[in-house]
Amino acid sequence: MSVFTLDQAAKEKVLLAELSALVEHHRTRCEPYARILTALGYAGAGSVAELPWLPVRLFKNLTLKSVPDDEVFKTLTSSGTTGGVSRIYLDKGAAAAQTRHLAATVQSVLGPRRLPMLLVDSKALLRDRRTFSARGAGVLGMATFGRDHAWALDDDGNVALDVICGFLAAHGDEPFLIFGFTYLVWLHLYRVAREHGLNLSNGLLIHSGGWKKLVDQAVSPAQFRAALAEVGLARTFNFYGMVEQIGTIFLEGPSGGSLYCPDFADVVVRDPQTWAELPPGEPGLLEVVSTLPTSYPGHVLLTEDLGVVHGIDDGAWPGKRFSVLGRLPRAEARGCSDTYQEAA
Amino acid sequence: MRIRFGADADLTAPSNDRLNVGDPRVIDFLTRFARRLLAPAVARRHPELGSLGFFLRPAEIKRAVAAMQRPDALVFPRGNVFHVSPANVDTIFVYSWALSALAGNHNVVRISERSTTAADAVLDALTATLTDADPIISRTQHMITYGRDDRLTAALSTWCDLRVIWGGDVAVNTIREHPLRPSARDLTFPGRTSWAALSAAGWRTADPAARRRAVAGLANDTYWFDQAACSSPLTVFLVGESVDGVGDEFLTLLLDVVNERGWQVDAAMAVEKRVNAYGLAATGAFTTIAFPANAVTAMSVRTLQDVPRRWLGTGSFPFAQVGSLLDLVPAITRQDQTFSHFGFTPAELQAFATALGGRGVDRIVPFGSALTFSAIWDGYDLPREFTRLTTLVP
Repeated sequence: MSVFTLDQAAKEKVLLAELSALVEHHRTRCEPYARILTALGYAGAGSVAELPWLPVRLFKNLTLKSVPDDEVFKTLTSSGTTGGVSRIYLDKGAAAAQTRHLAATVQSVLGPRRLPMLLVDSKALLRDRRTFSARGAGVLGMATFGRDHAWALDDDGNVALDVICGFLAAHGDEPFLIFGFTYLVWLHLYRVAREHGLNLSNGLLIHSGGWKKLVDQAVSPAQFRAALAEVGLARTFNFYGMVEQIGTIFLEGPSGGSLYCPDFADVVVRDPQTWAELPPGEPGLLEVVSTLPTSYPGHVLLTEDLGVVHGIDDGAWPGKRFSVLGRLPRAEARGCSDTYQEAA
Repeated sequence: MRIRFGADADLTAPSNDRLNVGDPRVIDFLTRFARRLLAPAVARRHPELGSLGFFLRPAEIKRAVAAMQRPDALVFPRGNVFHVSPANVDTIFVYSWALSALAGNHNVVRISERSTTAADAVLDALTATLTDADPIISRTQHMITYGRDDRLTAALSTWCDLRVIWGGDVAVNTIREHPLRPSARDLTFPGRTSWAALSAAGWRTADPAARRRAVAGLANDTYWFDQAACSSPLTVFLVGESVDGVGDEFLTLLLDVVNERGWQVDAAMAVEKRVNAYGLAATGAFTTIAFPANAVTAMSVRTLQDVPRRWLGTGSFPFAQVGSLLDLVPAITRQDQTFSHFGFTPAELQAFATALGGRGVDRIVPFGSALTFSAIWDGYDLPREFTRLTTLVP
């Protein structure tokens, strides 16, 4: 069963209704959100692109939640690269919904069965409470889709070749799942697979995380895909998601090249000068919408990522297909009040 | 450490070179340096350097030197002066250096590694001026760049008789960890905040051309240093019992001016402004936020207590209404530096300054002059600070 079923017209209709209802839902339950809408003079939207968005960085500066304190079931935090920590508040319902929708999205490519799973990370990641971060949460979240887990990196973050070989000896001749952050997969798994001629041909890779570290090494998503196919790992799926819209992931299609939006989510690419929605082919700022955030007003978010829609209803799955192009740099001002950081 | 201006030398070695207050060799150098800054090619590319050139024109220099003289004492250079310039204001270091040089001091100016193209243009002009200058200039005047180097900062701190620190509060405190000689002292220019105020009555009686000039002036004050200079206004106070329509007309003119100048902000700055405006709307500090253009954000501030004291991004115009200038007095603090005004009578401004009693606000200037440097800055009489007095009773 897939969650990539709605064409754009059908999705627009469903999302506009549900997201408009969510706007009102949060407006009555989240005072700071209500104040923003009032200050903006918001009075309803005629399309998904007209819905009022929040800059995602607000979740670092403010407490934004639409449930009373005693109904907060889980608080998620993420440290972004630009400093500051986002706080996302989930009640029981929202926590269950995000797990269910993430599962449905992943199972669209994985099938309903739990597969043996190789995690391209270090188990130490989960033990050290201080560093338990978005990465730890991401690994844990994905781990539920597999069984017989093996950790491809040792406690020091080095490749545990014996573990990988042991895993392949036990499960390598049946379908298995690999999950890891894109740059770890590239740095570690790809390298040892090539050097040692590992047979990963029954594997299905799901990977995520910024491309920045790979772009620094001049590795594009297409090169990544091609290189992994060369070592036998032909089925790879990248995804894009953020803790501020937990449970919603935009998944790479089976033939690569684009990310697709599940039925309950969508993207809008905006011109950072006019803020109007840009047509396919024109890069701009990425806005992500999702019906999952019910316990905090994260249903329409302007990210600080740049992206481009490649096409609509013209790919492997219906709806928009897009790419993330990188991160917007942090604004820098001149000015004497700016601190001389390296003054001493 | 990189010497960007001046002769390659041990900066803290004793020197036999002597300059006088108002030394002709320095005056000659500054005059020719100013001429380079006022060259059309430079002024076009960096309008703020034009203001610097204007500040250093012969008449101004003569006035500054005259102001250093006193009837009751002999006036001499203070000695060695170590200037620490702010991270990223292109040109402010030049003003304090120039006045200090005019006072006959030996100067070492530390320039940020992040210096901008305008600062580079200044250094180019300085170096070019050196060619025909008396060699004493390059032996006594140095501009340097270095990264974190506590030893060098410590050495320069014990070398100098006066240390001039520009920058944020953190920068000032960090530099101050390095002791000075017992006889030396600091002149600090920490983080400041600045405001603009517009009299509704004055606005209504001004003719359209005067209103437009006022808006253009405030726009310069705001946009030249990305609204992040200490003198850049952060909030516009609309002053009067009824200010209906004044803010709207002001905004319309502002959009016009910004459009005419072609000022834009990039995507990162646009997002920064949204984050700040939305954030303050969420807390209730702003009751309305509007984005009529990417370069112009307009907000209404709920009460005087809600007036933001931090940078909100280039082209942010929070408007706050007060009945009279005197109503602002309780909200002003020591941190407040420049108060730009339009449409008030001299008596109103005088009464305002008297009521403030020096507890905050060092400069009260018309729209368009917020960034104009003067020899009296942050409450200090700089020529006085840069000189030393000897009394003589025969």
